[in-house]
Amino acid sequence: MKPRGGYFKKILNVDLSRGTAKRADVSDEFALKYVGGRGWGARITWDNLRPGMDPLSPGNLITIAPGPLNGLLVPASGKTSFCCISPATGLYADSNMGGSFGTEMRMAGLDALSIRGRAAKLSYLWIDDDRVEVRQAEQLKGTNATETERTLKDELGGEDVRVATIGPAGENGVVFATVNSDWGRNAGRAGMGAVLGSKNLKAIAIRGTHDLPVYDMESLMEVSKRAFDYLMHHTSMRIWQRQGLMTVVEYANTVGFLPTRNFADAHFDGAGKINGDVMESTYKIGDSACFACPMCCGNICLVKSGRWKGTACEGPEYETAAMFGPNLGVDDFSFILKANELCDALGIDTISTGNLIAMVIEAREKGLLTKEDLGDLQIGWGNQEGIVRLMEMIARREGIGAHMSRGSKGMFAKWPALQRIAVQVKGLEQSAYDSRASMCMALAYGTCDIGAHHNRAWPISKELQMGKDWGLQEKVDLVSYHQAVRPVFDMLGVCRLPWIELSIDENLYAEMYSAVVGIRFTLGDLLEKSKAIYDLTRAISVKLGVRRADDYPPPRTFKDPIVSGPFAGKAADPKEYEAILEMYYQRRGWDPKTGIPKRETLISDGLPDVADDLQRTLGAKS
Amino acid sequence: MSRISVIPERCSGCRICELVCTEQHFHVNNPKKAAIRVVALYPNPVIRAPIVCRQCDDPECAKACPADAIKVNDGLVTIDPELCTNCLACVDACPYSAIFTHTDIPTPIKCDLCSGSPRCVAACPKAALELADQVKDQPQVAGKGIEYAPFRELRVQGEGAAERVIRYADGGGSR
Repeated sequence: MKPRGGYFKKILNVDLSRGTAKRADVSDEFALKYVGGRGWGARITWDNLRPGMDPLSPGNLITIAPGPLNGLLVPASGKTSFCCISPATGLYADSNMGGSFGTEMRMAGLDALSIRGRAAKLSYLWIDDDRVEVRQAEQLKGTNATETERTLKDELGGEDVRVATIGPAGENGVVFATVNSDWGRNAGRAGMGAVLGSKNLKAIAIRGTHDLPVYDMESLMEVSKRAFDYLMHHTSMRIWQRQGLMTVVEYANTVGFLPTRNFADAHFDGAGKINGDVMESTYKIGDSACFACPMCCGNICLVKSGRWKGTACEGPEYETAAMFGPNLGVDDFSFILKANELCDALGIDTISTGNLIAMVIEAREKGLLTKEDLGDLQIGWGNQEGIVRLMEMIARREGIGAHMSRGSKGMFAKWPALQRIAVQVKGLEQSAYDSRASMCMALAYGTCDIGAHHNRAWPISKELQMGKDWGLQEKVDLVSYHQAVRPVFDMLGVCRLPWIELSIDENLYAEMYSAVVGIRFTLGDLLEKSKAIYDLTRAISVKLGVRRADDYPPPRTFKDPIVSGPFAGKAADPKEYEAILEMYYQRRGWDPKTGIPKRETLISDGLPDVADDLQRTLGAKS
Repeated sequence: MSRISVIPERCSGCRICELVCTEQHFHVNNPKKAAIRVVALYPNPVIRAPIVCRQCDDPECAKACPADAIKVNDGLVTIDPELCTNCLACVDACPYSAIFTHTDIPTPIKCDLCSGSPRCVAACPKAALELADQVKDQPQVAGKGIEYAPFRELRVQGEGAAERVIRYADGGGSR
């Protein structure tokens, strides 16, 4: 089969050590089999995999791939995947960025950009349609991400140019450093910014002018109209535009999964001071949307008075509000904005940062960290100045911040006892949903291919509202379905929120893809491709050492019951988790003892070479 | 007679206006061929503003055109492609930076109001674009920033003696 649209069939391969940039052709088969975005990134990561490689060495190839629907007149088409081996987990990871950066890359005639090597000096990449240059960026050393974007746009052509950049944290190798674009949009998780920093790459600036390839514009516009009409008439559309993901704070607190004081509790008395209504009435001064998105979940906020006066940022969204609010014992919305602004400027992930600081505060309380370990840093629940200071210390790798900059795994290497209170899986800090009352969510965190993140499955809402009487099989089915359908959005280069939040029919995306490539694909076809890619990312991580023992949620999930709220007294049952994990492996076609994908599973995925490779390299070991 | 009036407080910067414009006029998916462009300038002011032709009664672009290719017909400022030499004098002359260019397109690109019912106005998910007889208080590109009459200012004492000024619009994010 040959796609008749959707792809330029070009990848730009940049080698910063050699100073080369070459456009390589992509085969029809590759384009369709891996679809785009995370799919392409996963396959390219597999093809370049070198077990034992330091993720912050020049050999770690990072692929940035927008996907075949990115940039099109379809809802929320501004998503782009960054894919590589994560310096936080040492495993496969991808992180998804919104905004307009990926669209600009596509308009420069590129489906993807792969970068390897390390520049001799701090540099930035300038892609001006067909022209590519590696330019020196020494003058930007240590510059905040948001300032760097402004500086490069001013220099290169204003709003016609899109810039993705790292902050000081990325330059300093903080393993949860982000890549930032469009002021407030980040490839936030798993340390993509550290990987760019390790390559001495401060930023990527792009200007593109090409039409995006669409086979059947008329059919695409017909589906697009149905999709936009559905969303615009949805009863929840207005509240989404007004508050975006900030509506979740109140919801999470009411239902009982709002992370509070390092996930010790799941209910926060001060939630009413940091919710969407507070944001809207006191701080919001504007809306912000990713490319082609009518939902505009980004809220631009300004602090007009008080201690943090002058703080302005896009955000926070729910994760940030939860991790810097309840999870740090803070009930002051202006502080959450300050933390959000600082994370964007320094280029650090709000989830990992809030999570790790909470762990340090609890560790100090419990005596797992000593006064000496913290030096002159004063920190505790709700201590806003202390938290801000610690964020700076992380980004600049000072004192305790230097250890924290290496993430959970780095902290465990120095203080093994922290594992008991740390809330992470595979070295990635957990995002802002307490899973003790939701076996689905515990399984989702345990088996997410990048670590404890909700990107692959977010079943908690459905389970807690509808699934009280479900058996384990229904729970496995829901998690498995999420892990297939949610990555489809990341492969196509669109946002999943119109689906997960406003329940748009996911079949529409198969119709869009079919119109764009000129070949009819059903949602079922896309789900099959997505499942194969999940097996492929598992194969990558298996080659890097992941086994069943790594697929468990944090110890706290089982050992420390929720303190207050609707689920007070509740902890997850470890036996039940063993049972559901077993059923999950059965359903996936992974070996229940080891968690390694079975040979026949990979064969039926159309990945015989991956099956052969695993058999060859693991044979005796598995 | 009508014009597109921009309400920047409502704009989210989603650029759907750019996409429907190019689909309407060129049947392609390419925001760089749009006659309306969202300018988003930050950190300050934190606002996004679509820039589009105001269909001036006495347009500077027409005065600047050496080929006499720009006329006002029924309130609509129109470029005659037969006469236009693509010299781009109009692009420089427009005080509102509302005429655009693209290498694929043989004439400058400007808003033609889609024969009276502009696609962008209908498609804007935030109702940030309206049809009006007259426009006032429109956002304007000025150097590397935007000028907009209703801006308010927040003055913040920075480190040392430096003072930062943050400009924003009341009612931002409203609809």
